Amino acid sequence: MARIIVDGEPIAFDDGDSVALSLMRAGQVPGHGGCLCLAGDCPNCVAEVDGVAWVRTCQTRARAGMVVRRHPAIGAPSPITNVSARATTVRHRHADVVVVGNGDSGQRAARDALDDGQHVIVLDAAGGDEVVGIFAGPTVVVRNVDAIAHVHAQLVIVATGAAELQPTCPGNALAGIVTARAAGALAQAGIDLGRAIVVGAAPAGVLGESVDGTLVRFEVSALRPGSVGAVVVRTDDGVEHVHPCDTAIVALGRSPRDVLARMAATDSAVRVVGPAADAFDLPPCPTSGTVCPCSRVEVDDLAGAWGRGFHDLELIKRATLCGTGTCQGAVCVPHLRAFVADRSGTTPAPFTARPAARQLTMGEASTNVFIDTCRRTALHDEHVRLGATMDRWGGWWRPWHYGDHVAEYWAVREAVSLGDVSTLGKMIVSGPDALALLERLYPTTISDIAPGRSRYVLLLNERGHVFDDGMVCRESDDRFVLTFTSGGAAGAEMWLRDWIETWGLDVRVLDRTMALAAINVTGPLASELMGRVGLSAPLRFLEHRHDIVAGVPCHVMRLSFTGEASYELHHGIDRSVELWRALLDAGRDLGVRPHGLQALFGLRLEKGHVIVGADTELDTTPRRIAMDWAVKMGKGDFVGRTALARTASLPDGRRLVGLTIDGPAPTEGAPIVIGTEIAGLVTSSFASPLLGQTVMLGWLRTAWSPEHPPAMVTVDGRVAALTATPFYDRKGSRARA
Amino acid sequence: MRALETIVATRIVATPAAIDALAAKVRAPGADPPVAVLRLADDDALVLGVPDATSVTIDDPHAIVVAETGFSGVWFAADALDAIVRPFIEWSVPTARPALAQGLIAGVPAKLWLTADRVLLFCPTAPAHDLHERLS
Repeated sequence: MARIIVDGEPIAFDDGDSVALSLMRAGQVPGHGGCLCLAGDCPNCVAEVDGVAWVRTCQTRARAGMVVRRHPAIGAPSPITNVSARATTVRHRHADVVVVGNGDSGQRAARDALDDGQHVIVLDAAGGDEVVGIFAGPTVVVRNVDAIAHVHAQLVIVATGAAELQPTCPGNALAGIVTARAAGALAQAGIDLGRAIVVGAAPAGVLGESVDGTLVRFEVSALRPGSVGAVVVRTDDGVEHVHPCDTAIVALGRSPRDVLARMAATDSAVRVVGPAADAFDLPPCPTSGTVCPCSRVEVDDLAGAWGRGFHDLELIKRATLCGTGTCQGAVCVPHLRAFVADRSGTTPAPFTARPAARQLTMGEASTNVFIDTCRRTALHDEHVRLGATMDRWGGWWRPWHYGDHVAEYWAVREAVSLGDVSTLGKMIVSGPDALALLERLYPTTISDIAPGRSRYVLLLNERGHVFDDGMVCRESDDRFVLTFTSGGAAGAEMWLRDWIETWGLDVRVLDRTMALAAINVTGPLASELMGRVGLSAPLRFLEHRHDIVAGVPCHVMRLSFTGEASYELHHGIDRSVELWRALLDAGRDLGVRPHGLQALFGLRLEKGHVIVGADTELDTTPRRIAMDWAVKMGKGDFVGRTALARTASLPDGRRLVGLTIDGPAPTEGAPIVIGTEIAGLVTSSFASPLLGQTVMLGWLRTAWSPEHPPAMVTVDGRVAALTATPFYDRKGSRARA
Repeated sequence: MRALETIVATRIVATPAAIDALAAKVRAPGADPPVAVLRLADDDALVLGVPDATSVTIDDPHAIVVAETGFSGVWFAADALDAIVRPFIEWSVPTARPALAQGLIAGVPAKLWLTADRVLLFCPTAPAHDLHERLS
């Protein structure tokens, strides 16, 4: 006869037995007591099966050689000992209608849907499909023997029926207590229940003595420690009657099996039918015993929480953990609601259930779950080849440094350097209303940008808060190229399209962020290098044009983020490696070398350039970062103008300020202290090799003006000086050179 | 799975009517790979097999027509779809052919160009390494 191994001992089973049934056939119980439902509702039969803990043994068919270990009586089991167990594939299935449950109501719902010509999938635990949860979509996640399935549907019908009420009274954690349905299943399997006492109506086919009265408690057997030895009921006359027994059977009524229904209560594509949707009477208010077998919450615990002022069902749940365990309240919710209803006089609605309704292994939970992709620029392999330390920034892999960020810094300040700025947002805007769009979108005047010229711009939301910045390059009367920050590109496209639709403008938009690479050639020798690689004529500051550079078609922009003369070369990603190598070759004797983000952030900080998102906050206005110059209030309406006009006259001491300090750079985020009060924080810091001191940007929330500077500002315990920005090349002559 | 390679194409953003007209004009049965207008959106099309953007004429003076090298893809036989891609797709793959399908594949925004006998799986080149790694 086939056997399973339970705690090291072989146990024979009959064909078709569940693991729980096999154990009970051998005179054992799968757990450590508690009323068994054998219907997958309660947690009292969970055990470790083949290395996976928290398996409902009543729902698990016994197979020869299966290894079962009981959970410890106290404390949690090891969640998984077999790391490969169930780390399996995901199957995707699609249907018009998914019906969960194959009882009467489920079959009716499935038939109706089929009659309507719908493609229907029925999921039923008895058929091996254990529903783990219902997610947005709706998507039903199902576990079966060898896979996880994601079942996608237009409509999910929850027809999970009703569960039997579990007893809540002293002694309800003893072994040998079963529900009426469980008793029927045991009898059908030919398992001898011994002397059985039935509280309530005796189930069909079960030999047991029905007793009248209200269940009071279960008493422990003198012969079988931990098992029930008697049932005590109280009759209407107030007298308690003790009924010795081997098995106690409880038929206390039903409650909706509504874990899945409670999980998807607000999803309009999920319907609940049959008993799962019915409002059954609540059981009597529990007065003693275990309410929540998963979290081992006693009635005394509920009373204690109530006494401390937790009177809401949700709060009691959180205070006691009642309902947060493996069954997600399938056992305890009716009793918990009865408890609250008794004390408050109002019947509370059940709380939301959370996935997973069944325990999953990490393998199951993570199968086909992918973290957000981190993009690579076309030069990724070049950076790695050059020894770069790569880091994630704005959703891209970017070179942080190439081993010596100070040397990279000096290459920019004294010679020429290359930076990979392919991650910048890049967008083409074209159409008869393109100018009108940009005038309304940006706070800067756009109409006076001549074709071939560009301008730095802020992007404001309706509240006048800065959420991105970039350049506007005018190509013709009705065509522009826009740039955005690396992290802001995707949001910027949506922002543009939303306003185009809102205003009904005739504009075409193409996001070129991932189609174009960009290399920044920067440094005092940048113009010479550009001449060597074939730039046909020099560009003046803020000019741009399409040209051929080292044989590669480029959109060349003359601008500066580093503070030095810079050329940004936008080009197709398929030619990027070719261009990068040509620039390095041509500039070898000029001392060209690439620079990473670490050097770039220091270079821009010396110039006082703000990085939106790093130096700005969610409510940063142009005024707060001293960039009113980028706002033309007189030019007509633009997004954010109303808010800026209304707040312009309000007092506002918060400012992003420049600071300098001797010694090493304080950590970004370090507090700025005035006197003894924390008055702000550092957003960026850099020990400037050129200036011989550390330069910083930081937020000060104390009212302050250049005429009335605060007495003493300290950062990191050192005196810092408020310093006007830029810290370097105040006239900007190097960038324009 | 074979590595994804740069797709030769032209990208067009124009009025929907202009793209409709172009689609009707450039279909060239028998080409290998066939010239196909993949409608990414009402106003956005990718013309496969046309690397020279200047060769495309479209009836919209404000159209954006550019050479597109920002996508990478791989062709495979239609009957390999189930094995290679479908386990990583949460959405329903269209049954009509030809068809363009777009959505997350193994967590990467990607597209499928489904013809009667072949499938082109493609995505922006920037995350193509992740797509390849996850499907291999």
